[in-house]
Amino acid sequence: MTTEYITIYLADDDADDRLFFTDAFDELKINTKVSTFNDGVDLMNHLNDPDAILPNVLFLDLNMPKKNGLECLLEIKKNEKFNDIAIAIYSTSSTEEHIEETFINGANIYIKKPNDFETLKKILSEVVTINWQYHTSNLNKDNFLMRM
Amino acid sequence: MKAKQLYNSTLLLKVIFTISVAVIFFIAAITYKHITTLKESSKWVEQSHEINVELERLMSYIKDAETGQRGYLLTKNEEYLKPYLTSKSLINNSYKRVSKLTSNSLIQKINLKHLLFLINKRHNYLSKTLYLVQTEPNYDHKVLNEYLHVGRLTMDSIRLKIEEMSSTQKKILQNRQLEYESSMNYTPLLIYLTLMVTLVLITIAFIKINRDVVKLSKTVNTLSVANEVSSLAEIVGGFGSWQHNFETNTYTFSDNEYRLLGCEPQSFEASIEEFIKFVHPDDLEYVMENVKNMALLATLPSFTYRVIRKDGEIRHFRTIGRAVKISSGERTYIGTTSDVTEEIYAKNFIEERNRELESNNKELTAFNYIASHDLQEPLRKIETFLSRLISSDFSTLSKPGQQYVNSIQTSANRMRTLIDDLLQFSRTTKTEKSLEKVDFNLLLENAKVELNQIMETKNAVIESNNLPTLKVIPFQIQQLFINIIGNSLKYSKENTPPIIKINSSKIAANSDKSLPANNHNYYKITFEDNGIGFEQEYATKIFTLFNRLHNKNKYEGTGIGLAICKKIVENHNGFIFSKGVLNEGSMFSIYLPFE
Repeated sequence: MTTEYITIYLADDDADDRLFFTDAFDELKINTKVSTFNDGVDLMNHLNDPDAILPNVLFLDLNMPKKNGLECLLEIKKNEKFNDIAIAIYSTSSTEEHIEETFINGANIYIKKPNDFETLKKILSEVVTINWQYHTSNLNKDNFLMRM
Repeated sequence: MKAKQLYNSTLLLKVIFTISVAVIFFIAAITYKHITTLKESSKWVEQSHEINVELERLMSYIKDAETGQRGYLLTKNEEYLKPYLTSKSLINNSYKRVSKLTSNSLIQKINLKHLLFLINKRHNYLSKTLYLVQTEPNYDHKVLNEYLHVGRLTMDSIRLKIEEMSSTQKKILQNRQLEYESSMNYTPLLIYLTLMVTLVLITIAFIKINRDVVKLSKTVNTLSVANEVSSLAEIVGGFGSWQHNFETNTYTFSDNEYRLLGCEPQSFEASIEEFIKFVHPDDLEYVMENVKNMALLATLPSFTYRVIRKDGEIRHFRTIGRAVKISSGERTYIGTTSDVTEEIYAKNFIEERNRELESNNKELTAFNYIASHDLQEPLRKIETFLSRLISSDFSTLSKPGQQYVNSIQTSANRMRTLIDDLLQFSRTTKTEKSLEKVDFNLLLENAKVELNQIMETKNAVIESNNLPTLKVIPFQIQQLFINIIGNSLKYSKENTPPIIKINSSKIAANSDKSLPANNHNYYKITFEDNGIGFEQEYATKIFTLFNRLHNKNKYEGTGIGLAICKKIVENHNGFIFSKGVLNEGSMFSIYLPFE
């Protein structure tokens, strides 16, 4: 067992989705440390805490109360401190407007929430094992949206 | 053009008039001179006559004196001396008269002087003779004879002189007569010629004037017709016209301008001050601003305002104007005023309807979002929980329990398809910017790739001839192909491999009965299959949303696919029709316009 963890954050207001998310990582045999936040305000407060450990990958739901996913994305991209965080949009909708807007504003990948658990596990496993540096350098709209 | 011709002809007429007046003056002068000469010549005749008479009289006086003296010499009767005594003064008087009458002739003057000498000499001898006879009773007869002889000779000389004078006078008269005649000879010819020239000129002027009058009356006629037509046009068109002359700062309103305001034509003085009395108080400032602009701008942009008519009705007017230079060279602003009340009302109505439509569209978009996002959310949860239940606890469930779980999964799947299709339908909207020129053969190939799996399972064959390249929304046409071909594949006969024939041709709208009559040209693309077909009575019904002809257990589907097809074709201003024969097959025809 290695001591290296991949730190993963999820901001989602839906308790069921948070449960699926953590359960999926529990079942995957990857060394991850998953933290979940109930909304955008909660997430940003934690990220701005100087003592906080910054995540390797951040999953952002778009439709959240108080501060939505897009607002969080804009705030994170403005702050150089968060330059190394890979951002995955994690949303129910897959409308062109949402995909376009988040792509332009610097998200790294767009995941449409799948409707069965096995697919979810497969997607999450793929996302956390991506070589992000390589993926980001070749980023274009075609490989931005991840469909499974 | 016509006006210029008229102007030229007045110049010609002026020239002719001037020449004619000059000629008449010339004739008048010649006539005057002629008459004066005539008068003078008659005076000369009279004068000559008088001179002759006077000379004869003079002669007779001398003769009287001589005769009287002769009588005395014979009879010594003093009575005979009377004529001799009075003759001196008579001769003197007579001589003075002749001298006066001949004062203008040098020859006659000399003659007269000579005559005076002769007369005096004769008188002398008469006196001498008388003196001799009266004072010397024994006078020498020889001397008397001598005296008488000289007297007789002198008398002869006098007679000769007088005759000479009278013949000289006759000659002078003759000369004058000749002079007069020669001067008079060519005068009538001159007068005649000038008169002829004048006559010709006046005739030309008359013809010219006559022509001008005809032209003028024609122009006046055309003008009055044009005036009437424009006045009628104003009534028909519901507008009035106005003019503002900058030079004189006066306004002119057409009759209809007054009618628009509900007034009798020309019932008040045309001026801005009078006109703005009708303008709605709320629009007054705006109108005045535009009136001020008139002085600054060559073209007055149209502006709309309200007026209160004489009968109290509020109407909307639109005024437009432009500065022009009319043919007289004066700078004038001309413009029209139209009653646009109905137009404004119609526009307001349309704007209201537009707002309603916009709000309806917004509601639809909101509904779209609810369908796309909020309905999917709980469904996704059901499916995810279900997938976890099946993967972990399925084997522990009782047989009926397993059956129920399977049924739940089927229903959930069906609901997902339904939501996805519905979403696709509502997203099939017209977006002008995404129109592209695209090869339909390529779109068909893409559709085949999408449908690859089902085509392979059913051993389907798609036959197509060369399809056109048109300006369309590519992904929508591709979806159209997928849906129509997918529909044919779905409703294929059991145990018969589906064959789908795709054909395309160019047609004109008016050559096809199923199309509305217009001038567009269309590409007709037909999809013909050998499937289960349908009864022709459902040919239009199959395109309505959620409409299905079959039980969902036999053929799965949502009843949205063909509705999407119809919407796509309508987005491209085209048409879609279907034809079906039960158990034999169906045919879908789409018509897409092209330029």
